[in-house]
Amino acid sequence: MEDYKNANVRNLNSGILSPFRRWSSKWSLWPCHFITSCCGVELAHAFASGYDGERLGTLNLGISRQSNYIIIEGTITRKMARALQFVWGQMPDPKFVNVIGACGQRGGIFWNSYNITHPSDIVPVDAFIPGCPITPEALLRGVRATQDKIVGIDRKTIDFKRVELPFEKQLEERMVPTSPKIFAPTPAIKVDVGRDVDWGEELKENLKRDLNGLYESITITDTNCIAIKTTRENLKAVAQKLRDQMKVDHVKSVNVIEVPHERKFIVEYIASSYTDEALMPVLITVFTEIGLKDPKVDSLSPIWESANYSEREMHEFFGVQFDGNKGMGRKFVLAPDTPDLPLRKEFKIAEERYVYEKGMSLDECMVPIEPPKDLYTPIPEEFIEGAYDKDEIVVPIGPHHAGSGHLRVTFRIKGDIIVDAIPEPGFVHRSMEKIAENKLYIQNVPLFERLAINDPVNMNLGYVRTLENALGIEVPERAQYLRTIMAELSRVEAFYYDAGIFSLFFGHTTGFMYAMAIREMVIEVLVKISGSRSAPSFLVPGGMRRDITDDVLKVIDNLTFAIHKRMKKFEDIFVYNPVTIARAKGVGVLTKADAIRCGMVGPFLRASGVNYDLRKIAPYEAYDKLNWEVTTGDDGDCLGRFLGRLAEIKQSIRIIKQAVDAVKRIPGPILSDDVLGEYKEAANDIKGNFFRVFGNLVLPKGEWTTVTEVARGTLLFSIMSDGESNVPYRVRVISPCWMNLRGFMEALKGERYADFWAVYGSFGYFPPEADR
Amino acid sequence: MLGLPVINNLIALLLWESFFVLIIMPGFAVLGTLLLILPWIERKMVGRMQWRVGPREISPRTRGIIQLLADSLRFLFQEVIIHKDAHKRYFLQFPFLYFIPVLLPLLFINAGTAGSPLVPIVSDYGLQLMVALICLMPVFILGLGWASNNRFAFIGTVREAFLYFAYEIPFIVAVFAMVVMYGTSNSVGVVDAQAGGLWGIILNPIAALTFFIAALMATARLPFDIPEADQEVSFGPFVEFSGIAFGLAYVMGYEKMYVLSALMTMLFLGGGSGPMIPGLGEVSYLIWFVLKTLIVMIVVVNLRGVYPRYRLDQGMKIGWNAMLILALVAVAWSLVIGAII
Repeated sequence: MEDYKNANVRNLNSGILSPFRRWSSKWSLWPCHFITSCCGVELAHAFASGYDGERLGTLNLGISRQSNYIIIEGTITRKMARALQFVWGQMPDPKFVNVIGACGQRGGIFWNSYNITHPSDIVPVDAFIPGCPITPEALLRGVRATQDKIVGIDRKTIDFKRVELPFEKQLEERMVPTSPKIFAPTPAIKVDVGRDVDWGEELKENLKRDLNGLYESITITDTNCIAIKTTRENLKAVAQKLRDQMKVDHVKSVNVIEVPHERKFIVEYIASSYTDEALMPVLITVFTEIGLKDPKVDSLSPIWESANYSEREMHEFFGVQFDGNKGMGRKFVLAPDTPDLPLRKEFKIAEERYVYEKGMSLDECMVPIEPPKDLYTPIPEEFIEGAYDKDEIVVPIGPHHAGSGHLRVTFRIKGDIIVDAIPEPGFVHRSMEKIAENKLYIQNVPLFERLAINDPVNMNLGYVRTLENALGIEVPERAQYLRTIMAELSRVEAFYYDAGIFSLFFGHTTGFMYAMAIREMVIEVLVKISGSRSAPSFLVPGGMRRDITDDVLKVIDNLTFAIHKRMKKFEDIFVYNPVTIARAKGVGVLTKADAIRCGMVGPFLRASGVNYDLRKIAPYEAYDKLNWEVTTGDDGDCLGRFLGRLAEIKQSIRIIKQAVDAVKRIPGPILSDDVLGEYKEAANDIKGNFFRVFGNLVLPKGEWTTVTEVARGTLLFSIMSDGESNVPYRVRVISPCWMNLRGFMEALKGERYADFWAVYGSFGYFPPEADR
Repeated sequence: MLGLPVINNLIALLLWESFFVLIIMPGFAVLGTLLLILPWIERKMVGRMQWRVGPREISPRTRGIIQLLADSLRFLFQEVIIHKDAHKRYFLQFPFLYFIPVLLPLLFINAGTAGSPLVPIVSDYGLQLMVALICLMPVFILGLGWASNNRFAFIGTVREAFLYFAYEIPFIVAVFAMVVMYGTSNSVGVVDAQAGGLWGIILNPIAALTFFIAALMATARLPFDIPEADQEVSFGPFVEFSGIAFGLAYVMGYEKMYVLSALMTMLFLGGGSGPMIPGLGEVSYLIWFVLKTLIVMIVVVNLRGVYPRYRLDQGMKIGWNAMLILALVAVAWSLVIGAII
C-alpha cells in the first residue's frame, strides 16, 4: 500500500503536459457511484439541489471505467472490501480516493465490529473527512481538498502531536477509571417470565385448547405478548396448528439466544397475524430449548415463508441447523473471511481501554483488524448450471452498480424476462447486534440510529420504547406529542428519500433533485430541533433530551404549509409523468396472499390491501389522540406502493399539524419522573445529568419485545435481559427492509429486466437498514 | 501577403463555398465547438430545471463554460484500459470508424436558403444517401458492444439492435413523406420547396413529429435512453471504454444528434432561411441554420430533465405501433396536401 501512496499525484506531475493534466484532473473529478453505507444519504444531498457538487465539476457517474474518483461513504465491511478493491482496480489512472465518515477511518461507532475493515488497508486514500454522518458541506470540502492536493497545495489541517501533560503525577494518584459495564457471571436467561397483566387469559385458554399436548407451558409475558414453550420435536406441529387454526400467518422475528453456562440454545420465533384482526397486535413467541452440541431444529420456513431469510441469518451467526431450509451451510450475510459464528458468547470483540499505560505505542490502542484476505463470494453452483442450455444468461447486479445500492442480486434472465433472482445482502452488515451486547443500554441509542439515518427518529423511538416498556415508564404527555412530531418528520424524510431514489432509478434526475430539496427542508427543521442533520439521538428513555421551544414549533408549523408547494412540483414533474405511470403501473405485483406469506411490513403490506398499521392497531405516543387515516391500496404494484407512501406523507403532515397545535397547550416536563429518580432538576433538559440518570439502567429479567411502525414498516426490538447486568444479554433487531427482502424477490419473478429498478425503488429498500 | 501564391490559394480554398460549408460552418469547426459547448448548455439548463446551478467553479465569471474542456482533456490524458476478454482490435477501431457514418452526412446538408444553396455536394439522391449513412450508425455501436465482451454491453447492444429496428422504419417513412411532399430528394430542391416561410413543419407536422421522436430514439436521449440506460446497463455498449476511447464514444452521441438536428432543420425548418444580416452576405444563412440546429438540439437535451426512461418493450411498442402509424399517415397527408398545392 505504501508504494501506491500518492502515486497518482506523482503520476500527474510527470511529463511536459503536466500543467494541463493537473488542471484537467482537478476540475474533472468524476466520482464513481460507490455508495457503501449510510453516509450515502448525505452524498445524495451533496450532489442534489441544496449543495450541488456539480459546481465543482464533479459529476456523479456510475461506472468505474469512466470515473477517476471514489468517494467511500463510511463503513467498508469485509464483504464490501472485495468490491472496493475491484472497483479501484477497474478505474483508469490517475485516480483518487476520498473516505468520508468516521467509520471509514478507524471504524467510528463500529470500531470493534467483527465485520468491518479499514479502507486504508485496501486502497490508498487521498483524503479523509470525519463526521458521523458527515454533512454535505464537509463532503464538498473534501472534494476541494483533493483538488488542492492534485495541484500541489498541502491542506493538512490537523497535526497530531503528543502532549506530555504537566500534571501527570496528580493523575496517577487518583483512582483510575474503570469500565461502567457490569456483566453478571452466570446470567439468568428466561424467555417466559410471567407478568400479571390484565390481558390475554382468553387467548391463553384458546391456545391451550388448540395446542393440546404439544406445548410445555404457555405464559403471558406482557400486554400483547404471549410465550409458548415447546419441545424440539413439537415445534413444527405447533407452528402448523398456529397457522391453520389460529390464522397466525407470518413471522416477525427468528431469534437464537445462546446460554453457554447452561449448555443450551433458545430458538424462538415471534409470530403474528395479518388476517385475524384480534390477533394483529399480539406477538406470539414460540420457543424451544436445544443443546449446545450439534444444535438442530426443524425449519419453520415451509410453514412460515417469512422466516426463511432470518433462519439463514441465524444459522450463520450461531451455527444452529434449521433442517429443511435450503440455505443451510452457505454464506448469506457474512463474508467468507468473517470469523465463524460471531454472535456466540465465546467470540469476544474488543473492549474500550480506559487507562493509557505509559510506554504503550499508539498501535496497541488500535483495534487489531486484519485486512481481508479471501474476498471471493461465489454465486451458488446450482444457480448457474444449466443456464446456458436453457438459453438463459446469469447477470449479477451490485454491489457496485449505477442502479443498485449495496446489495447483490443475481438474475437468471431469459430474453428480457427475469426467471429467478437470488439476493445477497450483508454488504453493510456492521454487526449491530454483537456491538449492542457490549454497550450500556443508553449507549445503544446512537448505535441503533445508524440503522437508517434517513429515518433516524423512528429508529430511536423503536429502541427507546422497548426500554420504556421494560422499565414501565410512562412518558409525559408533552413529550409524547413532541416525539410524535419528530417521528412523523422523520417518516416524511424517509419517504422522500425513497421517492428520490425511485425517480433516479427511472433515469429521472429532476425527480431526485426535487425530492432531495424537499428533504432538505425537513432536515432543516430537524437541525433546528436537535442540532443534527440526520443523527439527532434526541429521544431518551422517558422522554427526550430537551424541550422544543415555541419558535421552533412555529417553524415546524410553517413547514407543513411550505412543503405543499414543492410537493406539488414534484408530483407534476415525476409522479404524474406519463412515462412514470407507464413504467410503474402493473409492474411487480405482490398479491395480498403473497404479501402475507412473505411477511411484508409497512406501506408495502398496506399497498397489497392489508389494513395493518401499528400506529392504529397498538397505538403508542400520541397517535390515538390525533385524527388521521391509514392508507391502503389494492393493486400491490410498484405504482401503488409508491403512491401509497406519497399519500402517507400527506397524512404525516396532517398529524404534525394537529400535534403542533395540541402541544402548544400542553405544559409540563418532557422527561418522566420514573426515570429521573432524584435528579428532578433535569425534567426539562437532561444536559448535565445524562450519565447519572441513564448510566446505570438495568432492565428487569426476561425478554422484552416491542414493535414500532417506522417509515418502511415494522421495526422489532427484542432485548434479552438477565436483570443484573447493565448491558443487554442479547438484542435482536428486525428492520423493515430485512423483512421486505423476501417479498422484493418474489415481486421480481416474471418481470422484465428493466423492471428490477422499478421494483427496487418501489420497495424503498435501504441496505444499511436491512443488513444492520 | 496575398501576393504569395500558397497563401492566396489556401485562402481561396477556405473560402471556396463547398469547402467552407463542409469544414467550417456548419461543418466540422462548428460541430467541434458545439461538442464542447452543448454538454455544458445541457448541464446548465438541466441544472436550472433542477433548482441548482450546474458546473461553475472552474471559471465563475463565465459560468463554467470551459467545463467540457477540462473533462475532455482529462479523458485524453487518462489511461485506456483494454480488458483481457475484449476483442482488442475492434475495441480500438470502432470508436474511430464510427466517425465515418457520423460525419459523412454533412456532405449533403444544405445550409442555404431558397435560391442560394450552400451545400458541399449537390446530389439528386442527397436525402437517400444521408438516411443510408444515418442508418449505418447503429451497426458500429453493435460492433462496440460486441468487442467489449461484457454482460451489460451485451444487454445494451441487444437493446440497441431492437430499438434500431423500431425507429428505423418510421424514420425512413417520415423522410419519404417529405420527399413525396417536396417532389425531390435533392437537398437543394428540398430547401427551395420551403421558400416563403412555408416550412416543412407547417406542411406536414405529423412527419416532423415522427422524425423528432425517431431522432430521440436514434440518439438514445431520454425518454428513449434505453440502450445506454446507466442505472440499468451502465452505458450499455460503452461500459468497458475508458479514457479517450470513452471520450470519443461520449461525444459520438452528440455528433449524431447534431447530424439529425441539421437534417431536421433542412427538412422541416426551412434550412438556412431567415432575414439577411447586413454585411455578412450568405454567411447569415449559415448563422440562421446553425441557430435553428442548436435550438433543436437544446430541445432534445432538455428532455433529460423532464422524462424518465421507457422500458425496452415500451420503446419498441411506440416504434412499431404509434410511430409507424404516424409515419404512414404522414405519407398520406403528403399525398393529399401535395395534390392540393
